Amino acid sequence: MSEVDRNLVGTETAPFTVEVERGAIRRFAEAIGDNNPIFNDPAAAKQQGYADLVAPPTFATSFRLPMDPPWIANLDRRRIMAGETSFAIVRPITAGMVLTCRMKLRAVEDKGGRKGQMQLLHQDLEGSDANGDIVFVSSRTTVYRPAEQSLA
Amino acid sequence: MISLPDLATFEVGSRFEAACGPVTTTQLVRYAGASGDFNRIHYDHHYAVDAKLGGVIAHGMLTMAFMCRALTDRAGPRGSVSRVAARFLSPVRPGDTVTTIVTVSSRRDDSAQPGIDCDLAAFVGDRQVAEGKATVVWPDQEQARQHFGGERHG
Repeated sequence: MSEVDRNLVGTETAPFTVEVERGAIRRFAEAIGDNNPIFNDPAAAKQQGYADLVAPPTFATSFRLPMDPPWIANLDRRRIMAGETSFAIVRPITAGMVLTCRMKLRAVEDKGGRKGQMQLLHQDLEGSDANGDIVFVSSRTTVYRPAEQSLA
Repeated sequence: MISLPDLATFEVGSRFEAACGPVTTTQLVRYAGASGDFNRIHYDHHYAVDAKLGGVIAHGMLTMAFMCRALTDRAGPRGSVSRVAARFLSPVRPGDTVTTIVTVSSRRDDSAQPGIDCDLAAFVGDRQVAEGKATVVWPDQEQARQHFGGERHG
């Protein structure tokens, strides 16, 4: 059974905590090949008025539960692709922040393509600080391709 | 780092492009580790072929990081991306260099939070791989005034 479970629409994961670490930011900057000093050097970031090392804008994509959320867990990974992603960043994420995150399956949408029906999973992720203030909100649309579709 | 013209000085309609790459399989492994997205379609050739992808494809989010870099490299130290959205249109593969074309669509000079809005288009050669939009803001009022008072490009 590897089809999308629509009964999970509207459900969310238990809140999880992310401690934003310098090493995690540096490894992310290294992986995307970005040598911007504020992503790599705490002293440079502080010199620019930031509390600590700054995370690149897409860094929150790394905020995950140890296991995939229930609406992804049963799916065939070979059929999963990125569709769309957006971030609204209220204030830049910096090392040392402790964020409480929640992930939600907002909607599932059927979309007919040339090579069969695909499903779009619209998911939301938000992170807030210790005061409960929202730091970022992200939406992600994951494409679940038809089993037989080829992109080769 | 090379000093680039500051994004805050760009007029509406001005365009520039920025290239990242070429993407390597090693980079995709690093990105899998750094992002926590371990889907094997991004680094395991046989698995990706079995998934009918014809070989590994880059994480869409890596392409989005490249698109953001076109902005953050020019945002100045205190400029930051406050909103960014991307839609992925076509796979990026190892060996590909992703070129992002940024077009300034509006300026918010008089806003409480000065900034600019941009349209983003990412290409590999002449094939478009992603499209998007972003807003870059300068939260520091005094610095923003200095930026916006300076000479403009475009």
